[in-house]
Amino acid sequence: MLRSLSKSISLLTFLVVIICGIYPFVLWVVGQTFFPFQANGSMLLDVDNKLVGSKLIAQPFTKDEYFQPRPSAASYDASASASSALAASNYALRDRIARSLGPIAKYQNGQAVAPDVEKWFQNQQNIVGQWATSHNSLAAAWVNADPTHAAYVDSWSKTHAAVVAQFVKDNPGTPQPKAADLAVVFFQNFSKENPGKFPATASIKDKTGKMVTSIQPVTTGSDLQSIFFDMWRQNNPDVVLQDVPGDAVTTSGSGLDPHITLQNAEFQLDRVASKWAANLKRNPADVKNEIEQILQDNTSAAFAGLAGEKFINVLEVNLELRKKYGSPQ
Amino acid sequence: MTTNGFLQILFFLVVLLTLVKPMGWYMARVYEGKSCGLDKLLKPFENFIYRLCGINPTVEMNWKVYLSTMLLINFIVLLVIYALLRSQILLPFNPQHFSALTPDLAFNIAAGFTGSADWQVYSGEGVLSYFNQMTTLTVVKFIAAGSGMALLIAFIRGLAGHETSGLGNFWVDLVRSILYILLPLSFVLAIFLSSQGVIQNLRPYQKVDLVQPLKFQQTVIDSQGQPIKNKLGQIQTKTITLTQQTIPMGPVASTLAIEQISVNGGGFFNVNNAHPFENPNPITNFLELLTMILLPAAFCYTFGIMIKDKRQGWAVLIAMLLIFVPSVFIAVNLEQTGNSALTHNVDILPGGNMEGKETRFGIANSAMWMATASATASGTNNAMTDSFTPLGGLISLWLIHTGEVIFGGTGSGLYGMLMLVILTVFIAGLMVGRTPEYLGKKINGFDMKMAVFSILIMPVFVLFLTALAVVVPSAVAAIGNPGAHGFTEILYAFTSMVSTNGGAMFGLNANTPFYNIIGGCAILFGRYWTAIPALAVAGSFARKRMIPVSSGTLPTHTLLFIFMLVSVITIFGALTFFPALALGPIAEYLILSQQ
Repeated sequence: MLRSLSKSISLLTFLVVIICGIYPFVLWVVGQTFFPFQANGSMLLDVDNKLVGSKLIAQPFTKDEYFQPRPSAASYDASASASSALAASNYALRDRIARSLGPIAKYQNGQAVAPDVEKWFQNQQNIVGQWATSHNSLAAAWVNADPTHAAYVDSWSKTHAAVVAQFVKDNPGTPQPKAADLAVVFFQNFSKENPGKFPATASIKDKTGKMVTSIQPVTTGSDLQSIFFDMWRQNNPDVVLQDVPGDAVTTSGSGLDPHITLQNAEFQLDRVASKWAANLKRNPADVKNEIEQILQDNTSAAFAGLAGEKFINVLEVNLELRKKYGSPQ
Repeated sequence: MTTNGFLQILFFLVVLLTLVKPMGWYMARVYEGKSCGLDKLLKPFENFIYRLCGINPTVEMNWKVYLSTMLLINFIVLLVIYALLRSQILLPFNPQHFSALTPDLAFNIAAGFTGSADWQVYSGEGVLSYFNQMTTLTVVKFIAAGSGMALLIAFIRGLAGHETSGLGNFWVDLVRSILYILLPLSFVLAIFLSSQGVIQNLRPYQKVDLVQPLKFQQTVIDSQGQPIKNKLGQIQTKTITLTQQTIPMGPVASTLAIEQISVNGGGFFNVNNAHPFENPNPITNFLELLTMILLPAAFCYTFGIMIKDKRQGWAVLIAMLLIFVPSVFIAVNLEQTGNSALTHNVDILPGGNMEGKETRFGIANSAMWMATASATASGTNNAMTDSFTPLGGLISLWLIHTGEVIFGGTGSGLYGMLMLVILTVFIAGLMVGRTPEYLGKKINGFDMKMAVFSILIMPVFVLFLTALAVVVPSAVAAIGNPGAHGFTEILYAFTSMVSTNGGAMFGLNANTPFYNIIGGCAILFGRYWTAIPALAVAGSFARKRMIPVSSGTLPTHTLLFIFMLVSVITIFGALTFFPALALGPIAEYLILSQQ
């Protein structure tokens, strides 16, 4: 046994030297000598030799002038890759996708759906109450999403002691309800007092000039368009909408997917081209053709285009746009 | 299914089957000590190692010595890893200054990696230093895989030999596995991967300037973590401009290559092979997929050569393919059909279920990977199992439930499969009323007890631990998705750990003392309690006399036998779990299709 132990330890030492010393070191030398660009993260340099990102890691783009990458469950934080880990049956997944569809969905004739969602919303009785009642997890999530929301519900609960007392009576399990517990009754009450309105967060300057957030009941806006798209769709199941590329509204496995499908890029092309055309005061059709050319030049697919979907690298295409048209303001 | 998806699967299978024969032949030469090409270069070095460590390579070990030597070296490795993870802050190559791991997490990693499950509940880029990634967790992949391969070879020698007690020399088999097979393959794969964009460096994480800086409002928080309000109760915010992104670095190619070849899994990054730095393009994806299944498949041919009857090896491989190939096709089809919760009501999402999948791989390659990583003991992800459709996830679970014998781990897969072959022979023998024989040897009561023991360990542990977890409040609190899928997450976790697969549904927050400690023990039981009976059977077979083939012998290479074997795997592996599956993925599917 003892001899076996000494053999084990000396053999292990040997293997450690080979596997942990020689093996990675030789690979490090090979990588740094023959493929320094790839081995160091495929980093792209700006004209003035500053690092602008890795070709393989998605960056956040929100401006209309740029193509936007897939939504990221990691908030594009490259040092913490992550997926949404939402199950196919999880209502949160369906809700998240419906919310990202709301602002971008279009009718067959190219018109945006969002204004109709707002109009429909204003004409519904007690729609916010219905929404909160049938999806109490979404209502609670709204309260927890932002300290402003929780503070608003807290101050609401102080002015509506009777409603809170009724809630406590109905739910003896929660004698001291927190803001999130009250989410559903809050929305039901809000809906009664503000028919056709939704509490939206706005950034304003207060009297001392500091930036603060406050809640305003609104009848339009991005919150409405996204949150109520799903209900609008169920009320109007027969309306024919344009296809939205799946990768535009789903998060990737890594949260850092640097690519979008060519289909998705084409879907964004009108927005990108018209924004640049407006910025540069040029003919939209010309700009669109130029950008279409950039997309075509940057399209790739697996095995030299033989297999799989065609896709483009978002960062590379956006850098091309910046090179051609300058930085957007 | 799209034509494109069909062709991609076909191409993958053709390349795999082409490589099985040369690779299997090469490995047989290596273990039989015959000239294999590389020995001209490495033989002097191999002998040098034996001399320096005082190992006599000609000494034959009986099954008890072989087993105890294997267990001893694995136990030492377990202790060393634990110590290194606990003292991370004192060790070099730690540019991000990650602190030491907690005791329960360090134990879980040490047990998981030694037991070759490589169950990963930590985020590699967030907690592990380059030193621990590059040395601690790399060396253990070589040794865990090498131990499994050595064990298989001893098992095969036991089946092939007669009236002997020697099963070979564990030291020699381990050194040869690493020196002639794992190391050269990893080396070639790593060089190719780093030419494609898999990183290999020791730099600190790099900061880059974003092309478009992001501006947003952030709540101002006081020292107690409470938001600061003005007199009207409005909450103060400040404008934050995000101008930089932090890009992780590290020696990825060298750890990734062995992770694939050794079929261990355990990625450098949190999201494994979905991360662009681990898997930058479709070509690397194809090669990583291929190398993940190459050794387990090729061992079937090695087995055929070493028992001097290649038909037996092919028969086992065909049985594996008969379960694997349909699973791949069904999985790809299910994912391409998409998530009915989204298509049914939102109605404007073409292109299948892309949630949790990367654009550069697409759906076919993601589903193909999932099936392969479940059938083999790899357990890596290039797409997130949690977000697969309920039945797509069922395929993954079902493949692990077969006991990791459909290819399975390097070595461990095939000896698990051969235990099932012995069981099948026994059942067939009962049906025709003759003494069961396999490879010219009579199967007796001891062999049967051992075979059943090793087969039953997995279901008993998985079902018991899952049942335990659903009544422990802290274990239930870790669930990430509501409803039936939450149960699936727990079932998947224990299935994966006991079968030493290591794949996970990331929604389950398993980095808690409950899952770390119980899970770590489950991996050790799952790994070693199947290895011990396997070697016992090998020892018993080696001592037996060869009996000549007679008219009463059931041939074990015919289609009839292959069909019986597949049936036994399905009944034992899958039906044991049917009630549990009905509560998890099947219930989830039914609820979804009701909407």
